[in-house]
Amino acid sequence: MNVSIVPALKALVPAALVVGVAFAGVLLGYWGNDTFSPDTSPVQPIEFSHKIHATDNEIPCQYCHTQARRSASAGVPSVEKCVGCHNEVAADKPQIRKLLNYWNNKEPIPWVKVHDLPDFVHFTHKRHVAAGIECQTCHGPVETMDRVRVKRTTDEHPMEAPLKMGVCLDCHKNFEVEHGTDCWTCHK
Amino acid sequence: MPNIERRDFLKLVGAGGVGVGAGYVLRESIKHPKENLIPHIVAPEEYSSGIATWYNSVCSMCSSGCGISVRTREGRAKKIEGNPLHPVSQGKLCAIGQSGLQVLYNPDRLTGPLVQNGVRGSDSFAQISWEEGLSSVANRLELLNAAGRGDRVAFLSEGMSGHLAQLLELFMEQMGSDRLLHYDFDHPHSLYAAHQQFFGEKLLPYYDLKNARYLLSFGADFLGSWISPVHHSIGFGHSREGLSGARGRFVQIEPRMSVTGAAADEWIAAKPGTEGILALGIAHHLVASGYYQGDDRNEWAVALADYSENVVAGKTGIPVETITRLADTFASSEPSLAIGGGSAGNHSNGVETLVAVNALNYLVGNLGKPGGLVFNPAAAGQASQPHQASLRDMLALAEDARQGQIEVLVINGVNPVFTMPNGTEFGEALAQIPLIVSLSSFMDETAALADVILPSHTYLESWGDSFPEPGVGIPTGSISQPVVAPLYNTKATGDTVLELSQRLSFNEAIPWHDMEGCLKEGWRKIFSQRGGRAQAGGFDLFWRELCKAGAWGEEARFEGTYALDKAVIAGIGVQDPEFSGSADDYPFILHPYLSMALHDGSAANLPWMQELPDPMTSVVYGSWVEINPSTAKKLGLVEGDLVDIESIEGSIRAPVYVYPAIMPDVVAMPIGQGHTKFGRYAENRGVNPIEILSSRVEEHSGGFASSATRIKITPTGDRVEIVKTGGNSRELGREIVQTTGESAGTSAKLNSIPITTVQT
Repeated sequence: MNVSIVPALKALVPAALVVGVAFAGVLLGYWGNDTFSPDTSPVQPIEFSHKIHATDNEIPCQYCHTQARRSASAGVPSVEKCVGCHNEVAADKPQIRKLLNYWNNKEPIPWVKVHDLPDFVHFTHKRHVAAGIECQTCHGPVETMDRVRVKRTTDEHPMEAPLKMGVCLDCHKNFEVEHGTDCWTCHK
Repeated sequence: MPNIERRDFLKLVGAGGVGVGAGYVLRESIKHPKENLIPHIVAPEEYSSGIATWYNSVCSMCSSGCGISVRTREGRAKKIEGNPLHPVSQGKLCAIGQSGLQVLYNPDRLTGPLVQNGVRGSDSFAQISWEEGLSSVANRLELLNAAGRGDRVAFLSEGMSGHLAQLLELFMEQMGSDRLLHYDFDHPHSLYAAHQQFFGEKLLPYYDLKNARYLLSFGADFLGSWISPVHHSIGFGHSREGLSGARGRFVQIEPRMSVTGAAADEWIAAKPGTEGILALGIAHHLVASGYYQGDDRNEWAVALADYSENVVAGKTGIPVETITRLADTFASSEPSLAIGGGSAGNHSNGVETLVAVNALNYLVGNLGKPGGLVFNPAAAGQASQPHQASLRDMLALAEDARQGQIEVLVINGVNPVFTMPNGTEFGEALAQIPLIVSLSSFMDETAALADVILPSHTYLESWGDSFPEPGVGIPTGSISQPVVAPLYNTKATGDTVLELSQRLSFNEAIPWHDMEGCLKEGWRKIFSQRGGRAQAGGFDLFWRELCKAGAWGEEARFEGTYALDKAVIAGIGVQDPEFSGSADDYPFILHPYLSMALHDGSAANLPWMQELPDPMTSVVYGSWVEINPSTAKKLGLVEGDLVDIESIEGSIRAPVYVYPAIMPDVVAMPIGQGHTKFGRYAENRGVNPIEILSSRVEEHSGGFASSATRIKITPTGDRVEIVKTGGNSRELGREIVQTTGESAGTSAKLNSIPITTVQT
């Protein structure tokens, strides 16, 4: 007597089809989110504008981010540093009053990180600044932004992308960095 | 394409829709969580974020005085390494030193002053302010001082060198009390006494292991726990690999193989307590065979007449051939060195034993020579080292306490309730003292008995200095700097004492406001006396460079000659060891040894040290009893069997570890576990063998004869699994020990001619 499993399989086809379509949907949804809604532009506790500081008033990046050329982290300026100018400058504006409130209460400002690397990446600002890489190469045209954002790659600003490994590698390859593509250069 | 029914189509659309939604949410959920970027309110001067700052300081985990370099980031200590510029540690550091971070960050640290508000030992403490704590203690001291009973104040501190020791001395002088005791469980009292007897000075020499070509070690576990293990390890490594020509050879004589014994070329087990007799046997051979040609050889011959090789072989259990071979090699290798200590010095004849070891050095003529026993020049900082309290002193203190002679006891950095045998009833004696003040950073067994606890900073938070004792052949000193701001509401020991002094109006004798000022003034004196090359920049530059380097030293060496008093030669001789408990009732000798991880128990609250496998047995976390396989077989014991270890003083229970490298009538136990207090990592783990040791005092030094207790073993019938990283020490056909190729051992015809022939 022959027993065939074909009828049983046939009965499973509609179910398999549903699962397959659902799976394709998952991929589509994932891709859609990844493509059209990458990390964007978090709302900060104070509406700090890089445009006003860096473009309108021509303050160099490293005036505030003093550690970039010395340290692994670029350093966010101390509240004292902000107040150093804003005791005098624009002290009556509502956003500056917020700042002075933090200062008077001796509380730190809980800025939200925009550019972030995972903890398993060993990145140091010092070497990149020393090599003459512009801040904008990785961070995008921050000096034009009222609120710092990270965007999907566009033609005008090819590097204004979330900092993914590909971005690092492209650059390391372009500049022919010594050991630039070794795993242990960044993952150590 | 087959026809699709409407219902199926809707199903597919539904599935697709849900899928897309799920995919979108999935991507969203694995995005970076929101992170904040918290700025400083005011930028600190000491550091910049993202950049490591290193500070040189001194390790205080034991009394060796190793220099350390501490890596800090964002004001937090991250890693401790050895300071390459420091003459003691030379860039190296032991496991306990590395785990100093866990003292700093220990979750069981006391975070502020406490006062006992119930009966003692009831563990009910209430938080108080520093003002309350200091004034309550100062008031009591003031009253005693005014009544002229300042001598009823006792200060019991850990062993220390440097200006803190001097400050404590000044303070107690002002109180009018001579009861300042520095106490360390493992302080080698018998070694100091032996040197006093032999050389006339109570200073340890520098043992130049580095250049020795032949080293005889009588019980000194110098790589694991003896005096300055890190420094010895460096010297030993050089002796093995750094000497030109042949590598240095080394023989270890001890009843239980320590980690040092495992590194030796030859490990010899003399009967416990007969190490000194063996040394005299070797000495006898040196003199009798004419190796020694000094003017006083007749005196030596007379003194050693009772120690012929045959007699010594009988007493020590070591064959005559071995004794003569050791003596021949010792005499013919140049330079050769003999050291002694550890368990060999902790017998009833400890001092005699170590004098005998010194005799070997004298007879082989290595005194003051490279690779021998080098005398230390006078220490830089203070004129004298602080007096170390022996077991005899501690028993006297306990007796005074019982007699009501002591009204205030200040305890700093020691835990005598843990490190004194039960038989001394030390804890009960403390209970007679009306006011006990503890400066401990942790709630240990002793602090729990205190009325007021004024917790100290850890060494990584406080100023101090150290003059390593024994020295390293040159005058040297180093500064201990705070590497992080204090984590809690604690105070440096020195600052607490200074504040008490101010309240008691000792300003004239003790003018400093803080420990940093006290240190600076002390070092200003050293600078003006012997500043040397740094003179140009003045003291401020000297101080800066001193703190940066973490160590200061001079090239000066000991200058002077040494002549042995003939009376010393005539007095040489080693009595047979005595043990507590009769050999009939207590057939085994207990050999307690300092744990490499937990030291004398003071590191038992550090999780890294708890989980560090013992180097010889690979056991972690617990206590164990090492028993020779033949003894275990006789008693029907296997690994993990719980046994009662009973001495005349009491009984403890621990599992058996069958250990081949121990004499059959000796059982060994590591010290360090068995805390009832001292934080979550130390409490209720293993047992404390010190508890059952008889408090026998070594006669000449007053030290603790801790290796002189006999015990008996009673199986309980219960078993536990010993937690260890090692598997079975036997090969068991696992083919893990292969030293020859496949063809080895096959009977091929060689045609070679051997020296010996096989008789068939």
